Amino acid sequence: MELLEYAIVGGILYGVFFSLVGIGLNLIFGVMRIINLAHGQFIVLGGYVAWLVSRHFGFNPLWSIPLSVAGAIVVGWPLYAAVVPRLQRSDDPEMLSFILFFGIGQMIEALTGMAFGADQRSLPSEALGSGNIGVLGQQFPDSWWIAAAVSVSCILALYGYFSHTRLGYATRAIMADRDEALATGISVDRVSAIAFVAGLALAGIAGMFVPYLLGSVSPDLGGELTTTSFAIVIIGSLGNPLGTVIGGLVFGLGTMLMQTYYSSWSNVVPYALLLIIVLIRPSGLLGKEARHA
Amino acid sequence: MPDDSLLHKLRPGALVLALLAAGFLLLPHMYGNQSLLFTLMTFIVLTQGLNLLYGFTGYLPFGYVGFFGCGAYATSLLVLHAHLPVLACVAGGGLAAVLMALVLGPLLRLSGAYFSIASLAASQILYFVVSNTNLADITGGPYGLKIERVFAPDASYLAMLAVLLLTSGLAAYFRSSRFGMELRAMKQDPTSAAMAGIDVVRERLIVWLVSALVAGLAGGVYAWNLSVFYPDAVFTLQISVFAIVFALFGGVGTVIGPIVGAAVLYTLYSAIGISSPQYFQLIYGALIVLLVLFLPGGILSLFTRRGIRVF
Amino acid sequence: MKTNASKTLKATAAAVAMAVSAMAAHAAAAPSELKIGTLYASSGPFAVASQGQYEGLKFWAAAINKSGGAFVKAYHKKIPVKIVAYDDQSSTSTATTLYNQLISQDKVDVLVADFGSVLTSVAVPLAAEHHMLLIDPTGSGANFFTKKTDYLADVSIPSSTVWPVPLANYLLQQKIKRVAIIYGANDFDASQAGTLKDVLGKGGVTPVYYHGVPTTESNYTVLLHTIAATKPDAVLEFGYAPNDIAFLRSLAQSGLHFNMTFSIFPGQLIDLMTKNVGAKGLAYTYTYPTPPLVKYAKVSYGMNTADFVKAFNAAEHKQPNFLDSAGYNTGLIVQHMLDTAPKFTQLDFHQALMDISGKTTTLLGPFKINENGAQLGQPFPVAQIVPEGSGTKFVVVYPQDKATGKAVYPAPKQ
Repeated sequence: MELLEYAIVGGILYGVFFSLVGIGLNLIFGVMRIINLAHGQFIVLGGYVAWLVSRHFGFNPLWSIPLSVAGAIVVGWPLYAAVVPRLQRSDDPEMLSFILFFGIGQMIEALTGMAFGADQRSLPSEALGSGNIGVLGQQFPDSWWIAAAVSVSCILALYGYFSHTRLGYATRAIMADRDEALATGISVDRVSAIAFVAGLALAGIAGMFVPYLLGSVSPDLGGELTTTSFAIVIIGSLGNPLGTVIGGLVFGLGTMLMQTYYSSWSNVVPYALLLIIVLIRPSGLLGKEARHA
Repeated sequence: MPDDSLLHKLRPGALVLALLAAGFLLLPHMYGNQSLLFTLMTFIVLTQGLNLLYGFTGYLPFGYVGFFGCGAYATSLLVLHAHLPVLACVAGGGLAAVLMALVLGPLLRLSGAYFSIASLAASQILYFVVSNTNLADITGGPYGLKIERVFAPDASYLAMLAVLLLTSGLAAYFRSSRFGMELRAMKQDPTSAAMAGIDVVRERLIVWLVSALVAGLAGGVYAWNLSVFYPDAVFTLQISVFAIVFALFGGVGTVIGPIVGAAVLYTLYSAIGISSPQYFQLIYGALIVLLVLFLPGGILSLFTRRGIRVF
Repeated sequence: MKTNASKTLKATAAAVAMAVSAMAAHAAAAPSELKIGTLYASSGPFAVASQGQYEGLKFWAAAINKSGGAFVKAYHKKIPVKIVAYDDQSSTSTATTLYNQLISQDKVDVLVADFGSVLTSVAVPLAAEHHMLLIDPTGSGANFFTKKTDYLADVSIPSSTVWPVPLANYLLQQKIKRVAIIYGANDFDASQAGTLKDVLGKGGVTPVYYHGVPTTESNYTVLLHTIAATKPDAVLEFGYAPNDIAFLRSLAQSGLHFNMTFSIFPGQLIDLMTKNVGAKGLAYTYTYPTPPLVKYAKVSYGMNTADFVKAFNAAEHKQPNFLDSAGYNTGLIVQHMLDTAPKFTQLDFHQALMDISGKTTTLLGPFKINENGAQLGQPFPVAQIVPEGSGTKFVVVYPQDKATGKAVYPAPKQ
């Protein structure tokens, strides 16, 4: 019983964090129909920014959050301009973006490998509080709570952007129907670019917590993070950023329960969930449209 | 006359097969690291096998390595438990991959990126199942399998050459037969192809199974050649990734594109990739980006653009 | 009878003639350099350990070349040593191609395996197939040493079947009954865990928890809670260095406390562990202390442990760790093999190792291999890491004759 409570509390914390991990991927897909297969590598980059901030310069790793946002603007804007409009003019943007961003992901992985070496890097555990906080008698490290809190804040901020700002309305209009949005005079290109940058920034912020939640960060972690994000996004339904929260919670609870009771099978969880969802309900738990070929 | 045109059709395929056979029979006499040549052949087979599916149907299987691993494990388990001749075990490996492809057949209902990522998930699940400690008594789990009593570098080298010729022959058939033409029609427009009387689902499934068979056979021979291997050696996504990159680089939908792509890039890999893998990764990452943006048909399209027919 | 005798005579004559011509050929063909082929991993889970071992071997080669090379008895002269090395990135499939490269292309005279059981395992059948003696510095997996062979010798680490015996005996002696064992699912850690479980079983102790995790495991938070639920006194974690780091970090953050915690790599790579886990996280952890933490003053061949530390420090400007010592020791054993083997063949090399076995003590302790190639010497005691000032120190607690202090048990809550 104690173990079950532990798994559930842990699963919620873990799941909330993984919503943040997946949400950037979904935002970019929802707005641009572009699959950012380099998503995991961008998360890893965020992890290395945090590593530099704390291990190299000796600041609190939380400072990497504004840095990640700045980095996303510096990298994301030109990247958007260079590839996205070009991809959207092609006849199969989904598939071509899939391959192209895969290439970008490989380049990022190579560059992080050259810059930081292939070893696993961890962050000082004291930086986010060395104690632990208990709920229902279940102790979790401070870092897990902070990760969950930051994730919730980011998701709420995104929600606020969608529902209370003009750009947010425009974004939702584009997600609903791109052509119509174009026709009503929305500056699709500008709104898309903002969404693209925001997607990368969210990935970077999530990356900061990867060394805490997963133990360490290494260049080759990107691929696994991408597929996990993909699973979470598809569970929640592709193109619906808030559905990602449901996806994250399903993934988090599933993983923690498996780790507690059948730990040797826990690494199968995201892949099995993904496979089941795409075969049984390709539109995700919240989606409406079917996606059969 | 029909004979003549048949001959005409078969000629380029036969030429490719003859060149491949001659090349890989002679190369070991000039270059001593047979293991490297063997791996090169393995990658040509996998690139070609992936091309059969991606080049002719448009389905890009990121989890293609799953069939390779499946073949490797089935072959090794047969060697360990069935006491059959090695070649029969390799055939069993190919068959196991076909069975796996049948089980995964429903994935073909998915389109584009969904199919790619779902096939990747399937291959990862296969990997985690095979390498699970709880199954160590059956699959060897994370400790891998050892079949060193059938270790035979030369024989397995020839067997891989045979698989290579089979695969290239299949690609040549796809390229020049009516079946292949139907596939291309399907790829361009499945709806009108179906209206023209092509059984889209059935033909797509056949290609999927053939492509799995090739990877399974390659996996079986690969396991035989290694004779001691860990699950990650035959299930690493790197294998899928290489096959995809090599195929895109050479040019999909052709016979010699994947051969050229794999030969050029694997040679580059063995020259620089083994000592400094990150540089190679950077190069092929950039290659993918450039290919998608500027040369979606691969390097062979440089020739086709100038009006040179590429087989 | 007669015909038999004359046959024997003829055969002997032929053999002698062949041997003479072979020797002549060898004498004529004394190589200008000795090629020692090996692999190292610049990346992946074995990188840190592998590079340590490789640096130790290079240190040996540099030292011996300064003195004009290694003395080769078969040619009665010193021949300079050249190390041919490739990077396998901790991948067994890359390692297979590269071991092949060393054997078939570079035609190395001596083949040395990369660090650890995983990267050594693929070389074992290859070496046997090509009739090469595989010098295995640190591959201790029990299943390598199951049959008699001329082509394998574990030179710098005890076989996993003898390695955990002192630890098991210590647990039995301390009457610690509730033991939890968590291990990485690979040849090295699984052999350790298996041996330990067997020895404990003979002493009447059955582990309350016994579980393998993937070698890539990097987060033990949930596993630790599952372990805690079995209420163990001692938690023993067998992993490679990244596992040990992740395990000890998760433990420090989890709010859990055990009376005894054991992990392998603090005793081999203390600097790396301290950097990643912190002195506080390591405090009161038990481990296998290894040379140069344990010192052998009286040696029969090469430098003793303390002199090696000094020399290594002078040349490389850093403290050697166990793997540097193991790499250096591998070079020493090869050197002794070459100055003992009467002929320059792989079989003679192996015979030479058998000849020096049991009669040689190096900086790692007594060198003793059996006919299966397993290392039975160079034993590791058990030590506890205790806080000292802002850092830590090792206190050897078992066996009695090597002990430098008494264990703090149960470990105090911090």
